[in-house]
Amino acid sequence: MSTKLDVKQGTLALMILKTIDVLGPLHGYGIARRIEETSRNRLALNYGTLYPALLKLEQEGCIEAEWRQSENNRRAKYYALTPTGRKQLARETRDWHETADLIAAFLAPRRGEAT
Amino acid sequence: MRHLRAVLARVAGFFGGRRDDDDVRAEMEAHLDMETAEYIRRGMTPDAARRQALLASGGLPQAVEAVRDQRGLPWIESIAADLRYAWRALSHSPAFTTVVVVTLALGIGANTAIFSVVRGVLLKPLPHRGGDRLVYLRQSADGAGQENLTFSVPEVRDLREGAPSFARIAQYSSWSAIQETSDGPARISVGLVTGNYFEVMGLSPVLGRLTQPGDDGPDVPAVAVLTHDYWMRRYGGDSSIVGKPVTLDKKPVTVIGVLQPAPFFPDRVDMLLNMVNSEHHLGASMQSDRSHRMTEVVARLGPGATVDQARAEVDALYSRLTNEFKESYDPGAHYRVAVIPFKKVMGERAQLTLWLLIASAAFVLIISAANVANLTLMRGVRREHELVVRAALGAGVARLRRLLLVENLLLALLGALVGIVIAVGGVRLLTSLAARYSTRANEIRLDAVVFSFALAVSVTVALLLTVLASVPREGSFASKIIAGAQRMSGSLSKHRLQRGLVVVQIAVSVVLLAGAGLLTRTMLRLAEVDTGLKTEEVLTMQVNLRITRDERRSNPAAVSAANERYNRIRQEIASLPGVVDVGTGSAPLSYSGLTRDMKAEGGQLAVGEAIPRGELRFANPSYFRAAGIPILKGREFNTSGDGFGNVVSDRAAGTSVIINQALADRLFRGTDPIGRRIAWTNGIEPVYGEWCTIVGVVGNTQDGGLDTQPRGAVFLPLENSDALVIRADRNVSALTAGVTRIVRNIAPTALIENVLTVAQIKDQSVSPRRLNAALISSFGILAVIIAAVGIAGVLAFSVSARTNEIGIRMSLGADRGRVQRMILREGGVLLASGLALGVVGSVLFARVIRGLLFGVEPYDPVTLLSVAVVMAAIGIVACWLPALRAARIDPAVTMKG
Repeated sequence: MSTKLDVKQGTLALMILKTIDVLGPLHGYGIARRIEETSRNRLALNYGTLYPALLKLEQEGCIEAEWRQSENNRRAKYYALTPTGRKQLARETRDWHETADLIAAFLAPRRGEAT
Repeated sequence: MRHLRAVLARVAGFFGGRRDDDDVRAEMEAHLDMETAEYIRRGMTPDAARRQALLASGGLPQAVEAVRDQRGLPWIESIAADLRYAWRALSHSPAFTTVVVVTLALGIGANTAIFSVVRGVLLKPLPHRGGDRLVYLRQSADGAGQENLTFSVPEVRDLREGAPSFARIAQYSSWSAIQETSDGPARISVGLVTGNYFEVMGLSPVLGRLTQPGDDGPDVPAVAVLTHDYWMRRYGGDSSIVGKPVTLDKKPVTVIGVLQPAPFFPDRVDMLLNMVNSEHHLGASMQSDRSHRMTEVVARLGPGATVDQARAEVDALYSRLTNEFKESYDPGAHYRVAVIPFKKVMGERAQLTLWLLIASAAFVLIISAANVANLTLMRGVRREHELVVRAALGAGVARLRRLLLVENLLLALLGALVGIVIAVGGVRLLTSLAARYSTRANEIRLDAVVFSFALAVSVTVALLLTVLASVPREGSFASKIIAGAQRMSGSLSKHRLQRGLVVVQIAVSVVLLAGAGLLTRTMLRLAEVDTGLKTEEVLTMQVNLRITRDERRSNPAAVSAANERYNRIRQEIASLPGVVDVGTGSAPLSYSGLTRDMKAEGGQLAVGEAIPRGELRFANPSYFRAAGIPILKGREFNTSGDGFGNVVSDRAAGTSVIINQALADRLFRGTDPIGRRIAWTNGIEPVYGEWCTIVGVVGNTQDGGLDTQPRGAVFLPLENSDALVIRADRNVSALTAGVTRIVRNIAPTALIENVLTVAQIKDQSVSPRRLNAALISSFGILAVIIAAVGIAGVLAFSVSARTNEIGIRMSLGADRGRVQRMILREGGVLLASGLALGVVGSVLFARVIRGLLFGVEPYDPVTLLSVAVVMAAIGIVACWLPALRAARIDPAVTMKG
């Protein structure tokens, strides 16, 4: 069994938005499955983490929820991206890349500096 | 935008119901089903699949809870829960709650009421534009009654030239006038002001215009500005009054405007007039005589100028002037000028009293808070078990602290609520007190700032109580539960805190009692002061027949008619049954307003000795007899040969005078003054420089106030002055109606004022002190009661915490007396330390309020001793009850328990 990581504050929202962006409207189970698979099972999402995050995004107007019939004829709540959510995703993606570049630059070993 | 939307959604969620929970649960159930189906598809049995899915979910109820927190406002929700819980807990112990709320209410109420007064009278910025740039100038010299000499016109001229820090200087004089009103004649307070007065003061009209420099000088129309207060009171805010004439002292004056609401100094004012209204102020003597001091001076500091600069300039100017004009500035009296910020001078008289009151109120709050702290500490110990259980059930330390805070806040806010009700009542009483000391008393309001003050005080108290209360430390729960202790008795450190609080309570109570004692003794001493009059059954009244200066000069018929009426009034009063003597003269026990330098013929002053000064007073032959002022040497006036006249200006030459003992001592130092001659050295027309022969010496009277040194006085003979002094052989106050009727019949237009018995006059000057003493005494009594409850409570608690120990002691042979003594000793130590601390504090405190005392030393041993005895007695009684209870402990019962 691999060690599961905690989801970092703030990154879960980005993962959820990206997942819905890629797969289209999706229910909570689908989102959780996709995030766990993408992380190659290094992340585990329990309900107490996932659903408050979904509700927060809904409150912020980034996603919309709707009860629908699922592919195997089950009723489930589907989440879809709103225009606000799309903008938010673009902005957060850009911010994240910048932060990642910055951190990578800091952490990269530099030659000839330390003696 | 995104965040705002989220907040709104959460607020909406806060009010949303349970239905949302069902929706969340359904969503999660669906999630669970899909996950279970997935596990089954991978080959698990349905049971194992379901279990695996549940495991991965992390617990449904917790998840629903987490979503709920995200949906609404969890912080408010749990506070509401805490509030509900606190309310329930408090209503379970109504006695505790009532005691705490009432205690806090008294403390908070007293502080709120007094704070509103302090704010209105001392702290609030002045309504004047740039009020912080205004300064008041006060000229003073050594000697009784020389604290505020005011300024002469030449002095103001010199200030204008010699003190460039003052951008502008305005003059004004307090005056009074008689106005013809629809209700008959009425005396009003007026201020005579220079044209630039309002500009300097930074005041604006609400109607019409104010005086301007064009209103100065002798040949301008007489104009009046109404103060806002008088406009509302007399004219009901009628704006048509502007432009109309009013009649003041029988002359028409045009009302040109109404002033914005503003406080005046030193007195309340009804109208402000230009100088042309007073012939006196435009007269030659007033304009050119350096010693003719009659105007108050306010100045506005120029840009960048400071009060210190102005002070330095004025000092330099005065050292030059006093050298140059020796006849106007007696070198022995050290003439000087103080430059005082206007706001400060407005609060000057109120300051000491108000700070004393607020300090006392703060003391009361301190001991009430200490008592409440002790009560909550004791309750806290009893609740420790409960808190431990709650902690064991999952409440974190932070949550427990919050619960206590909410409980204490609830108590404090209830206290504040009741306190504000008390404050509303108290403010009325205090406003009437403040009105005696300050013209800003009508600015006292219970407004938002005052309520915020009450709120801040109660929140502070709640925070302190919470900090003091003990919450079990994290990690200590388990051991306590294991110990299974039914009662976690307070730790030693907590006991120390409680004892410390009791000591502080006793000490503070002693300080308050001592203050109350000193002020009460002051009041009693003041009431004991010999006024110099035989006070029993003397009625005084001022009857103004209203002869103006003009009539005096140019209408002898009117003057003699008035004198005729005056004589008839006296005769008719004298024939009333019971009347023994009727005299006229300067109103007894009130300052005539005129004091000037005096010299004795052939007298020599020592080098550097201050020139003697005498107050100018009037008397007719029967004045001294009627007032009961003893003739110590020589004789009283008689109508023939003493140069009697009906008015000062037509006295015959070679006037006789009578002086009082204080002046005789000062001028003649034990030699017989009868037959010697004295004169004023400056400034009183028309008696200036004229030698007068002394025919009598009378006893001193307290005309400058009961708490002042007797001042020198010179009585001039005058047939009729406006104060009547009536001595009766019985119940003089019953004569009032008859006397008033006589005056009304003979002189229907006369103004009758100040109809008072001498006892009433005396009482009026004692009453502010009595109110002071009463207020501080009630604070003191309150403090003692609270402290007594405090000491009894702490001992009772100590007894109940030591029940086991006492039981053991008794079963080992200690008898009841011994146990009782043990508890008494415990209380006695607290009492003694509190008393010792309190006596030290009292001496320090009394030095601060020295200025309010009269006739007692701040460290008055009688007061301190009696306060200590009273406090000790009450303290011992308070200790006795718990000690008795301890002695009644039955060892058999306690040991079994």
